[in-house]
Amino acid sequence: MLVIFEGTSQVETTVRAVLSDILGLSADRVATFTADTPLFGALPELDSMAVASVLTELEDRLGILIEDDEIDGEMLETFGALVQFAAGKALV
Amino acid sequence: MTGLRFDTYDWNGGCEAMLRFGPESGPIVIAALPLFEEANRTRQFTCTILRALADHGIGSILPDFPGTGESLVATVDAKLSEQRRAYSELTQQLGAHSYAFSIRSGALLDTDADLTGRWHLAPQTGADLIRDLERTRAAAGKSDRGDEYAGNRLFPEMLAELRDAVPCQDGRYRVVRLGTDPRAAHATYAGSPLWRRSEPGSDIALAQQLAADIAHWIASCEG
Repeated sequence: MLVIFEGTSQVETTVRAVLSDILGLSADRVATFTADTPLFGALPELDSMAVASVLTELEDRLGILIEDDEIDGEMLETFGALVQFAAGKALV
Repeated sequence: MTGLRFDTYDWNGGCEAMLRFGPESGPIVIAALPLFEEANRTRQFTCTILRALADHGIGSILPDFPGTGESLVATVDAKLSEQRRAYSELTQQLGAHSYAFSIRSGALLDTDADLTGRWHLAPQTGADLIRDLERTRAAAGKSDRGDEYAGNRLFPEMLAELRDAVPCQDGRYRVVRLGTDPRAAHATYAGSPLWRRSEPGSDIALAQQLAADIAHWIASCEG
């Protein structure tokens, strides 16, 4: 499994698991995601309802709180961006 | 008669439908689905658990509450206080040892009932439910559409009641969560949060494990 950021492998594993569990993607498929893999707009499963579910599930599993005004297209653009956002919250 | 039956119950504000599974004698489990969209996502899973409970010799009921399922009360007129009253009156009518099996925000409905015990799966507070609803509404770009939440129109009174509602942990209480949920629990099981999936399907292995947990817990409460 590719580690995108030093010290964030646990967060990365959690983000992968959440995408698999919430979007119903196979673990094999999610395992191929790299930092550059596009998410929002590229995965038909990730519609606006699913975005809300993914973020809320990330909050629960990582024990973080995501404010609504922090949610923008950028953090969901790629797998790497989402891991970086979650790690920035979880590893503070 | 232990197959699936359709039945109804009366409460002070009307009549609601309910499904019955398993024997009608002995302890009885009352299942409460989560409120709103999560109810659709967990209904099949819940029925799988209730069928498995019947295999353990335990009867159960999956009732509608005012404003849910096939209820004649519209969602916009639903009130938590009335759903709790309907739950309590149903429990009284059963007259047996009744046990709550409540999922997510369904755990907000069993609060006032005279139950022998409460078993909660990943219970959710009213504040967290409202947060989910508001986030879903914001994600859909409908924050200017007044009282519509994720396709449901809600009465302001319902929102006010939900805001401070927390699951009741009085008496014999057992909380079970998925292994991915870090919050405190009496037991955890591996599985996906079907209530957050738009194509949830069911999880038969998890349903059987949860039914076995409920059956074992009821046996210890009765013993």
